[in-house]
Amino acid sequence: MSSHYEAPIREPLVLGTKSYHDITEDIARPIEGSANRNWYIAFYISLAAMLWGFGCIFYTVGTGIGVWGLNKNIGWAWDITNFVWWVGIGHAGTLISAVLLLFRQKWRMAINRSAEAMTIFAVFQAGLFPIIHMGRPWNGYWVLPIPNQFGSLWVNFNSPLLWDVFAISTYLSVSLVFWWTGLLPDFAMIRDRAVKPFQKKIYSLLSFGWSGRAKDWQRFEEVSLVLAGLATPLVLSVHTIVSMDFATSINPGWHSTIFPPYFVAGAIFSGFAMVQTLLGIMRKVTNMEDYITRLHVEYMNIVIILTGGIVAVAYASEFFIAWYTGSPYENYTYMSVGAATGPYYWAFWSLIIFNILIPQLLWFKKIRRSFIMSFIISIAINIGMWFERFDIIAIVLSKGHLPSTWWRFEPTFVDVGIFIGTIGFFFVLFLLYARTFPVIAQAEVKTILKSSGAHYKKLRDENNEH
Amino acid sequence: MASSKKYWQSVEELKGSSIVETLSKNEFVEEIPTDEFLGDKETLESSATSRRDFLKYVGFSTAAASLAACEGPVRKSIPYIIKPNDITVGVADWYATSMADGFDFANVLVKTREGRPILIMPNKEANGSTNARTQAAVLSLYDEQLRLKAPRKGTEAISWSTANTEIVAQLQALKESKETVVLITGTLASPSTEKVIADFTAAYPNIKHVAYDAVSASGALDAFEAFYGKRALPNYQFDKAAVIASIGADFLGDWQGGFEKSYSAGRKSENGNMSYHVQFESNYSITGANADKRVVLKPSDQVFALLNLYNAVTGANVPSKATPADATVKEVAAALVKAGSKGVVVTGLNDKNAQLIALAINDALQSIVLDTTATSNVRQGDDTAMAQVVADMKAGKVGGVITYNVDPLYTLANAADFVAGLEKVSLSVALSLQNDATANATTYALPTPHFLESWGDVQAIEGQFGLMQPTIKPLFDTRQFQDVLLQWSGSTATYYDVLKEFWNTTVLAGKSWNQALHDGFFTKKATATVRAKSVNMTSIAAALMSATKPSEFELDLFTSTALGDGKQANNPWLQELPDPLTRAAWDNYLTVSMADANAFGFDNPVQDNGAINGNYANVTVNGVTLKNIPVMVQPGQAKGSVGLALGYGRTHGLKETMQVGVNAYPFLIGGKNIQYGVTIEKAAGSHKFACTQVQKTIAGRHEILKVASLKDVLDTKLDPKHSWNKPTYVTYDHQEVEASTIDLWDDHNREVGHHFNLSIDLTSCTGCGACVVACHAENNVPVVGKHEVRVGRDMHWLRIDRYYSSEVATREEAVASGLSGGDLYEVLENAAENPTVAFQPMMCQHCNHAPCETVCPVAATSHGRQGQNQMAYNRCVGTRYCANNCPYRVRRFNWFNYANNNEFDFNMNNDYGKMVLNPDVVVRSRGVMEKCSMCIQMTQATILTAKKEGRKVAANEFETACTQACATGAMVFGDINNPEDDVAKLKEDKKAFHVLDAVGTKPNVVYQVKVVNTNNA
Repeated sequence: MSSHYEAPIREPLVLGTKSYHDITEDIARPIEGSANRNWYIAFYISLAAMLWGFGCIFYTVGTGIGVWGLNKNIGWAWDITNFVWWVGIGHAGTLISAVLLLFRQKWRMAINRSAEAMTIFAVFQAGLFPIIHMGRPWNGYWVLPIPNQFGSLWVNFNSPLLWDVFAISTYLSVSLVFWWTGLLPDFAMIRDRAVKPFQKKIYSLLSFGWSGRAKDWQRFEEVSLVLAGLATPLVLSVHTIVSMDFATSINPGWHSTIFPPYFVAGAIFSGFAMVQTLLGIMRKVTNMEDYITRLHVEYMNIVIILTGGIVAVAYASEFFIAWYTGSPYENYTYMSVGAATGPYYWAFWSLIIFNILIPQLLWFKKIRRSFIMSFIISIAINIGMWFERFDIIAIVLSKGHLPSTWWRFEPTFVDVGIFIGTIGFFFVLFLLYARTFPVIAQAEVKTILKSSGAHYKKLRDENNEH
Repeated sequence: MASSKKYWQSVEELKGSSIVETLSKNEFVEEIPTDEFLGDKETLESSATSRRDFLKYVGFSTAAASLAACEGPVRKSIPYIIKPNDITVGVADWYATSMADGFDFANVLVKTREGRPILIMPNKEANGSTNARTQAAVLSLYDEQLRLKAPRKGTEAISWSTANTEIVAQLQALKESKETVVLITGTLASPSTEKVIADFTAAYPNIKHVAYDAVSASGALDAFEAFYGKRALPNYQFDKAAVIASIGADFLGDWQGGFEKSYSAGRKSENGNMSYHVQFESNYSITGANADKRVVLKPSDQVFALLNLYNAVTGANVPSKATPADATVKEVAAALVKAGSKGVVVTGLNDKNAQLIALAINDALQSIVLDTTATSNVRQGDDTAMAQVVADMKAGKVGGVITYNVDPLYTLANAADFVAGLEKVSLSVALSLQNDATANATTYALPTPHFLESWGDVQAIEGQFGLMQPTIKPLFDTRQFQDVLLQWSGSTATYYDVLKEFWNTTVLAGKSWNQALHDGFFTKKATATVRAKSVNMTSIAAALMSATKPSEFELDLFTSTALGDGKQANNPWLQELPDPLTRAAWDNYLTVSMADANAFGFDNPVQDNGAINGNYANVTVNGVTLKNIPVMVQPGQAKGSVGLALGYGRTHGLKETMQVGVNAYPFLIGGKNIQYGVTIEKAAGSHKFACTQVQKTIAGRHEILKVASLKDVLDTKLDPKHSWNKPTYVTYDHQEVEASTIDLWDDHNREVGHHFNLSIDLTSCTGCGACVVACHAENNVPVVGKHEVRVGRDMHWLRIDRYYSSEVATREEAVASGLSGGDLYEVLENAAENPTVAFQPMMCQHCNHAPCETVCPVAATSHGRQGQNQMAYNRCVGTRYCANNCPYRVRRFNWFNYANNNEFDFNMNNDYGKMVLNPDVVVRSRGVMEKCSMCIQMTQATILTAKKEGRKVAANEFETACTQACATGAMVFGDINNPEDDVAKLKEDKKAFHVLDAVGTKPNVVYQVKVVNTNNA
């Protein structure tokens, strides 16, 4: 997979005068060293948030969904908003590791590990919501097509919620396998360096007995390619199916044929934004500035502006079609004059500002290559994409077909608590990951060190070896 | 005194011998041979019980003991050891009886299961109809909170025999001292009870019987007496009317008992004989909502309009004043004159003179709508006599007071005078169903049974007798009022004997008592003929003019659809029944016109949780001030008038959650429902309303609820499908076709078996809410309380949507007038200042292509062979996707456990209240979705009955709770596979339409276009 030549005008992907050993040292440092104070502060805050969220979940399950702000006309709000938001965030990982692998984009190597970790942790959060939003989550396994003795009961294959079950579980398992495969040589590296016997034992278990033989590498490359091929359609399928929760329904504003591509674009948009957010922090905290460079940030911003553009066009199309139908039932879809001027105007305009206007700043190269600006914009997109899902769900449900059923939704502390709890849970997992897993696919980065490393490029320049 | 004696057991002890000391230290005199036993290994090993076995036994017994302790709570049920003759477990028994609680009168059928009444339905053979309160009365039977359970003297429990002995002794003493004893009863309308009272007063000549109604029709009774010489009410047969002019009479509500049945019978467009109904009113009543023309007039103007109408109809010239509605009054007068004897005028002003004017107009028209022969007895209260009683009591002229079925302490405007009077009487007895304020103020409080536990008779309309029979053994230590009076009179007969004897001798005229009891009613021709007396109309008009004092604000007191006069204020079904117009439950409030609200700064802002809030007002009438009355801005309220419902604000004996609203009775001064000289001031604070609907208008979506004029409907040249009943058209294959004909799906095979449909006639539906309560009762629909209703979680399977018209009538007109975007929405979304109203009962539409069915991941909701959309509660995991995908939003989710939950302390949380539950319908647990089932338990029962009898189900045999309860026949249920069924024809009627046909759901509920006779066609 690795080529040894790269055009000199390309920017280096690894900065500094790194040797193979330096890379090993850099990647192993957070695992082998002890955590600093900042890590502990972040961890305990996340843990507190997580526990608070778990408390809210227990309260919900113990008392009833009535502790949320839902009502007879608005049956979903924050629960499914959070679900779709987290699933969307989970999209970047697979895209980076699978699609970019197939397209032989070397820059992915610095970020794919963390992006995929983020994917898996985000899908954990997402998966929580369909379970806890059920009135009777203890019967949640009924959505699985398990042969049973309840009579001739079987799941309903017409239901998009059932498709969700398959889509999410497939996505989670393939992502997990793909991630783990990539981790094997890196785990082996940690194992080989480990001095404490317990650590050594654990990492040898995790590395599945990787020996580093040529055969291992050959199989590794082949499996990666096959899994990339398998995972690529999933990038499209998962959010397509999530969008069908809405698109196959009959609510004006949900019942829309452009939802699948539009949701996929939105998911990649939000996923990359979350990668930006996380890596913006991580590169500082774990001193990976030499591996996650301005170039990486710029590339990701380009994906963001592309997918953000698709999303913006989709919004415009939704707005236009709602108006063009002339149907009074389309007056209050989440993209309509009714939404812009109605009781949820603030949610509508939050979406427009955070999701459409702010990302346009990325057209400027200076901003696109600025770490801090990218970080701020990525936060804005995260907020904007949450509002997109909230708008689609709450605004549409708040103005149904019959005006007698028009209502509003107000979250309770439990709604908020569970959302914060999932953010806490996500960061708990991510922080633990950052201390125990090689956060950059070092084995892969090493393959491009000589072609794309700054030092080697410089050497080639000096020696005129082009 | 402590004893210092010392006792000894042996001489040695006395002597203090050392052996005693030694022995006392040694617990066992002889050594226990433990070593011998444990030390012998062989014995131990050969023993059948090893140490392991021992531990097993210990383990088992501990586990067994703890398992036994873990047993669930035991609910004891007592089976029938010997099957009673008339009870088959699982099969309902129906009894014909009558409701008469002094405010609501009805011939009813009572469904009992295993000896428990669980449902009340109208006795249609007796032409009975039930309103929401009659439907809900079955739950009031089980109201162990409010019901008086045992006789009481002061606060002490007392036995019936002691109470009777003491009271009889006091009555005798009062009789001898010739002091007046007043017997205050509500409207009885019971011939046999009147006889019992007559016997009682014969035994005690010092007893004076006064009928008192909390909300009286005293003015109408006085007027009728003055005009016809008989103290009764005319029975209005609105089905015979061609033109109805109502001046403030809410005759579809509680005015003189309500007339929705005959009214809607006279408004059938298919017969072409639809009456023209004009309503002049200040509050927005359901009568006004059903009127063809509604004229907003403040109460004083209503009086002048009545006089003007009299002048215009009769050509007289009694004194009056001009009103803003004089042009309409002239039109109405012309229409009345044209209609002649088919015209009728009614007025809701509880004033003798106003009622006399109305009677005079009707007399001038020679109206056949008034039946002055078979008169009505549903209101007998005499405000003048009652006022005299209170004055006498206060003056110390009364020796004793006996009340029955009235709560003057709550319902009298001058309740304080009554309390003062009570202190001056030597004997005060309250015979009462409820542990109300009066029962707590009198010396004796004697419990009487609920009508479902009683014998009795009713003659609501002259010649139309109803029998009352017990449907359950009395739950508490109660005795019937009549039995008590008989005993006090010294009679040994029971009331049952008296009743039977009375009927056999006076009523039945040789016919069978058993048959009458079985039927629950008996009809006789009314014999009394009455003649109009001549009255001097000019002096009456002058008196009326002088009594009418137009003021800046005038108060119109009314009874709400849910609570009426407040007798059943502790009934959670009624508290949760939303008002038909404002759709607010659990409250009463001051209704204020939009113009006045703007002036005062009152509004009802919608909160972020969807609920609405309101301001408070302090209202003063004639020196009486009520503070902090919540204010509801009511479109269509007359400017300068405010409305306030009676029956709320009851506190005594009520559960805390039911103590809602303000008591408006202190304003009912002199029994007058109209009060002049009202002052209003805005008070601080914000009130939380609990409304089931907050959007006022239909927002331009007129295809949801179609309204057509009678002229168009009768016009045979018009094609309804392209004019007044237009379906949604789309282009398909370059042709215009109905949207509902295009489908991706295959149709269900409907050839075999039944296919249920429900037809709802929007013209006949008055919005009364009886069906909503019937549905509650039949289907064990939970009550969720004020807060949950407020946040949009009412559980009603059946609701009645209300739509006000907007200032611009239709979307097309609004667009044509150049409105667009936000302005267009604003115009269409806001109610007009004086809007018309349309009601639409809405429940699960049982779509043939149901959107809910496809989205459930576990197939908990699926389609039945008979057309129902079925809900398997046990299978539901509660994703709520079905509710989100229901365009009608009729699915209801169990947000919490509503049964056996102290947070929801309503009838499903106590053993008495649970007796009303229908055993055929499961009580749902939390986390599952529920909705209208088209009463599948009823349709299945009908099918099984027919099957058992070896026959086909007859035409129109199928019924649901809502269709049974519907007084006007607006709801018709049946099998469209049986061409004989009415619903099969109604489905094909030219007025039939489906709500949201364009969505393609193909509902099994079909609506009939609302027809209004706007131009008196």
